[in-house]
Amino acid sequence: MARREIGLTLNGVERTLEVEDQVLLIELVRGLGLVGTKLSCDTQVCGACTVLLDGRPVSSCTTLAIEAEGRTVDTIEGLADGNQLHPIQQAFIDRFAFQCGYCTPGMIMAAKALLDERPHPDAATVKHWMEGNICRCTGYGTIVEAVLDVSDPSRVLPAPSAGRGAR
Amino acid sequence: MRVAGTSAPRTDGIAKVTGAARYAIDLSVPGMAHVIVVRSSRAHANIRGIETSAAAAAPGVLRVITGADLLAAGLTPYYGHVVLDHPVLAIGKVRFHGEPVALVVAESRREAAEAADLVEVDYEELPSVTDAVEALAPGAPVLHEARGERVGDEGMDGGEAGLAGNVCSVAEFEWGDVDAAFKTAPVVVEGEYRYPMLYGYAMEPYNALAFFDQGDLVVYSSAQHVYMVRRDLARMFGLALARVRVIAPYVGGGYGTKSYTKVEGMTAMATYFTGRPAKLDCSVEEAMLTTRSDSALIKARSAFTKDGMLLARDFEIIMNSGAYTDNSPLVNQKTANRCFGPYKIPALRVRATSTFTNTVPASSLRGFGAPVGNIAGELQMDEAAHKLGIDAVELRLKNLVGPGEQLLPGKRGLDADLKDDLRCLSGSLGWPGTGPGSVGLGVSASDAGAYPTSTAAVRIHADSSVTLFTGSTELGQGSRTVLSQIVAEDLGIPLDTVSIVSGDTGVVTYERTTGASRTTTVTGRAIQEACKDARLRVRELAAQVFAVPLAAVEDSLAGVRVEQQDLSYGEVIERWFGAGGEVLGHGAVRKADGFAMMPPFWEIGCSGVSLTIDRETGVVTIEKLTTIGDVGFAINPALVHGQDAGASMMGLGAALHEELVYEGEQLVNSNIVDYRVPRFSDIPKEVELILAQRRDGSGPYGAKGAGEGAGNTIGGAVASAIGRAIGIFPHELPATPERVWRLMRATEDAQKKR
Amino acid sequence: MAEAVALRQQHGEDAAVYAGGTELLLAMKLGVARWPHLIDIKPIGALRGVTVTDEAVRIGATVTHWDLERDPAIAKALPVFAKLEAHVANIRVRAAGTLAGNLAFAEPHADPPALLVALGAHVVLEGPGGTRTLLVSELLTGMYQTALGPDEIIVAIEIPIPVRDVRMAYVKFQVLERPSLGVAAVATIRDGKFIGAPALVIGAVDEVPRAVPTGQLSGADARDPGTADALAEAARAAVDPSDDLAGTAEYKRHIVGVFVKRALGELMAGAA
Repeated sequence: MARREIGLTLNGVERTLEVEDQVLLIELVRGLGLVGTKLSCDTQVCGACTVLLDGRPVSSCTTLAIEAEGRTVDTIEGLADGNQLHPIQQAFIDRFAFQCGYCTPGMIMAAKALLDERPHPDAATVKHWMEGNICRCTGYGTIVEAVLDVSDPSRVLPAPSAGRGAR
Repeated sequence: MRVAGTSAPRTDGIAKVTGAARYAIDLSVPGMAHVIVVRSSRAHANIRGIETSAAAAAPGVLRVITGADLLAAGLTPYYGHVVLDHPVLAIGKVRFHGEPVALVVAESRREAAEAADLVEVDYEELPSVTDAVEALAPGAPVLHEARGERVGDEGMDGGEAGLAGNVCSVAEFEWGDVDAAFKTAPVVVEGEYRYPMLYGYAMEPYNALAFFDQGDLVVYSSAQHVYMVRRDLARMFGLALARVRVIAPYVGGGYGTKSYTKVEGMTAMATYFTGRPAKLDCSVEEAMLTTRSDSALIKARSAFTKDGMLLARDFEIIMNSGAYTDNSPLVNQKTANRCFGPYKIPALRVRATSTFTNTVPASSLRGFGAPVGNIAGELQMDEAAHKLGIDAVELRLKNLVGPGEQLLPGKRGLDADLKDDLRCLSGSLGWPGTGPGSVGLGVSASDAGAYPTSTAAVRIHADSSVTLFTGSTELGQGSRTVLSQIVAEDLGIPLDTVSIVSGDTGVVTYERTTGASRTTTVTGRAIQEACKDARLRVRELAAQVFAVPLAAVEDSLAGVRVEQQDLSYGEVIERWFGAGGEVLGHGAVRKADGFAMMPPFWEIGCSGVSLTIDRETGVVTIEKLTTIGDVGFAINPALVHGQDAGASMMGLGAALHEELVYEGEQLVNSNIVDYRVPRFSDIPKEVELILAQRRDGSGPYGAKGAGEGAGNTIGGAVASAIGRAIGIFPHELPATPERVWRLMRATEDAQKKR
Repeated sequence: MAEAVALRQQHGEDAAVYAGGTELLLAMKLGVARWPHLIDIKPIGALRGVTVTDEAVRIGATVTHWDLERDPAIAKALPVFAKLEAHVANIRVRAAGTLAGNLAFAEPHADPPALLVALGAHVVLEGPGGTRTLLVSELLTGMYQTALGPDEIIVAIEIPIPVRDVRMAYVKFQVLERPSLGVAAVATIRDGKFIGAPALVIGAVDEVPRAVPTGQLSGADARDPGTADALAEAARAAVDPSDDLAGTAEYKRHIVGVFVKRALGELMAGAA
């Protein structure tokens, strides 16, 4: 198998790595210990493996690692600034926009690409952009809310809806 | 209450949004070998032989393992928590397309995969049967010539006597004179209903990492029930329970699909035969060939008086349970218990038959038979209302069981106010519907909680902070958060001073399962007992420190009051020990006291939809979804909302899209391209998640379980709403556009003929 | 470019042209195809970019769906095509996948081919013998099959820009991951009447986009319900659907009729 050296900027750090031609981007990043990027459907449908390649969301399960040559690769691990969470990450926590968390890194990276390009999307834009990211736990509603929160920090968290019986 | 009842942020939040959370699939250890499973290309065949030499000689291969190797090594090559009939690797014959036949263990996953192609299995094909009705017919090919050893204590209350052919188990009960009631009833509705075969698609596929450490078998896995898996593994290898350690770190979705043993046995075999740590990661396609849920054919009839009182119901259910027993007897039993609904029924007959077929083995999936039976039971309420000219909500209200009343003889009375829940639901949905949307709704009550065996331990440290030990597994439902809230509430300490250790049989206390919506209620109670025990221990230490009788020491918010002094737990601990130290409290609950009556609680389903239909295409759009979370008390309301939103969305998937399809002997949509799960575009236009909190549960502070109920009624509700819109009730889910279109066309044709 | 063509000649069936990889790598992972060599054409400058003239839009072979969805010149010249591109697969596939790759792979359940055929778009191919052009309808010969020679490479896709009064529409129907129907309609409409015959192409139903014979509707009143019925009937008769997970042939044929009428509705909504 052919091996080659590639230079890339991974989570803001310039790296030179030796990779085999047939290695996939997900194998490369997970092999480096960046296991926040998850494999699930393996067919570009679910989005759990979403990373940003030059700022664009791609399925790292179906992207060759050598594609990263000369480009920037961003994974979930590079999003927070030290212990300071990125606003999207904080919004996901505030909105309970995840449960098992397996889709969450891909979901957050897809949302980041959206907000980088369009800082103030409406709900329909969020849904269209995120259509290719599957979450099996939440029913999606809280994820849309979380992304909208980032675009408009003046939004207020709702109180749980009134129901029956005394608290 | 300080902490309970608040939407405290998830304790696992930062780990999950930063990618730091480590799932079993993320783990590796030095020297780890990789396992690839060779799967059967036949649905039913005898294995004449398996040629492994070419694979064994391939680069990087450490060992090829077959069922014969397990037998030769004197291991117990079967698992199963009810019946010991599921071979770790096929022995003598294969019973479904995709069944594991051999393992290839190699230095790398690629090498293992390439060598796996070299394994050749010599099959002698046998006639196969994939349809449950056909499997029960005389002369059908029989999957199991002999029955496995019965090892479970649940699910086969009728025993194995009389189980013949492809009958896996039977659940039946009857009261009143059903036949007489149907003979004389003024109004009878009857029909056949079909519920699809589903795949839960927990996004982390089944996987495990296994190795031996000082003779102990250690297995990290994506399992929900670590203690159930421990028992299977101990039996396989003839090890004491204490010598098997099963650890579930973060788990990427469960929904019941990760209950019980999946790939842990195969992975453990790989390490046993190679002496190397072994890792087995399923692809999603392989996961789809591992476990699915039962599909069902339900023949049902219901008899009513002219004014809409139920006289009798009769259900005949045939479950397609796949090739092995797994959890099917329990699912079958629960389907029977849940199909007829929370109504007062003078005469009832239910017979459910779990059936072996040459298909992927069925086991648990969220709701556990409840959504399966609900479509028949609840749709017949709507069909009867239509026939009787009575409002369908009114009809339900007339017949619903009230608080404290019995649904099933000998069971706990209903710990909920379903009539009030239903009124609240119908109000939210604007019943009977004024806008363009057609409304459908339903109710259910599930005997939830499973067998209530649970233990917990809390360690109070010298600074009064606490570590909670629980065998319950965090699957995403938020149990670590809720259980921590219970500790903080009962011990009077800040939530951020509670740490939790869970899902590791080598460390934490025994928990029977993490399923059946039981954790908050059953585990929560065990934790309260542990907190009580820890407080007693602290009082005992304080009594010794102050040399006073125990009775002279009182509990305070986060410590004790003794001799007019307030001391924190930590102060008592440090004074007693002199330096450092800690206190350990243990708690246990069993089928006694608050849980003496089964079920531990009734899980309520009360949800519905308003929908519109594209009359030309049959495409259904959900305009509004409402769920009533009747949870007694919401210890963390946001997490309850999360469960209700998630369960109802999963319910919508089954109602509108999801179905595993067999063509001939093969599953033809074992991938997420062709098995369509709900997407962002499927979010209902409006969602209202309502909580009903009457403190009527048997769990902490009057809480009871959530997580399944909201989804249980969605299939029936969607079918009901479609029926009200088009004049004919769908009897088969999912209500795909084509199925809805065909129903519309059938009604048009019928009208034309008139 | 010459090097790429030479490599293609040298390796023949042992090599595949590689750009976005969204279809190619998937096929390789699934084991349905194995190529020892991939020829990466992304470094070739001549295959990049979108050029818009008065007559046509020329789309280089390495231009992605993402680029097309965002290209202001395309949004202006071919808004319906831009909207189609914004709904191809999902955002990640659009970010990496190319229009040329979509055509070269010839997956029947795809969005662009139907509209490209309806618009009379063609592909520019380069091989050892030089350059030739093929209509998209000539390129696509079957399921995963094209007229592309084993030593040829797609250089660009050229879409003629419709003249004044030409209206176009694309509507689709989807129940699974890929479209189960796409209807493309292109027509000149003046005073509510077709000038000439409308172009009507049904995608994702048959193995290749199916052009519906519409000659009998030349000059017909597009507002007349009878015209819509006739177009729908012609489309239903033209397709040859089969039963699969997305539905039975009978249902698909019905849906074809429904969406032909919807496409016509969109045409009229946009017509002056």
